[in-house]
Amino acid sequence: MKIAIAGKGGSGKTTIAGILARLLAQRGHEVWAIDADSNPNLGLTVGIPAEARRKVKPLESGLLKEGTDEKGQRTMQLAIPPREVAQKFGMPVADRLTLLLMGTVDHAGEG
Amino acid sequence: MCGAHAAVRHLLGGMQELNVITVIDMEAGLEHLSRGTDRHVDALLVVAEPYFKALETARRCVELGRELKIPRVAAVANKFRSNRDLEVVRKYAASHNIEILAEVPYDDEIQSADLAGSAPDLGERNAAAAAIEKVAVALGL
Repeated sequence: MKIAIAGKGGSGKTTIAGILARLLAQRGHEVWAIDADSNPNLGLTVGIPAEARRKVKPLESGLLKEGTDEKGQRTMQLAIPPREVAQKFGMPVADRLTLLLMGTVDHAGEG
Repeated sequence: MCGAHAAVRHLLGGMQELNVITVIDMEAGLEHLSRGTDRHVDALLVVAEPYFKALETARRCVELGRELKIPRVAAVANKFRSNRDLEVVRKYAASHNIEILAEVPYDDEIQSADLAGSAPDLGERNAAAAAIEKVAVALGL
């Protein structure tokens, strides 16, 4: 299941997202918490110390390659499978919980 | 389309087979919805504080989520301090046909943790964490 958390700035969406991710992992699920905010703070809420937060590698457009879909149309697709993405870019936070960070200043790839 | 958004969108799109739950903290506001970053999600939870402008933003998020045909679109009422706060949010949600999945009270522990730059302790479920856990239950997780 993929759950997106949205809302106005300051509404507490990052706090809700972080606590929900931790609770789901505590309930026995494998959870990937993805910070897709260009002002990323989810790492803080899931409990990664400030020093370590700077080491999270952002997901960037280099993850995508050009391919063709089933109709033969040119399209972008993931260059490596999702699990490999999580292993390469994710930071383990707690049992069953991994943090992923979306890149911010990156305008390459799909124009 | 910004490459970083595209990377997240394709990652989510490629995860159908995996037994993994993703919780995505989206950008504040509505832009991620127009970019289609949320195209592949199963649930869109819109966090709403008991302020009119926050409720208006939440309503617009919900409407866009419905347009994107996200299977479950609902609100989480957050940081209410009184029954009156809660009534305002409930009334607003009802008048726009928005489901409220959980009602999370304002919480001093969370606020203190935030100020200290640390994560709130979930060892003993306080009222806010217990309310957030209801989201997991409501989603069948």
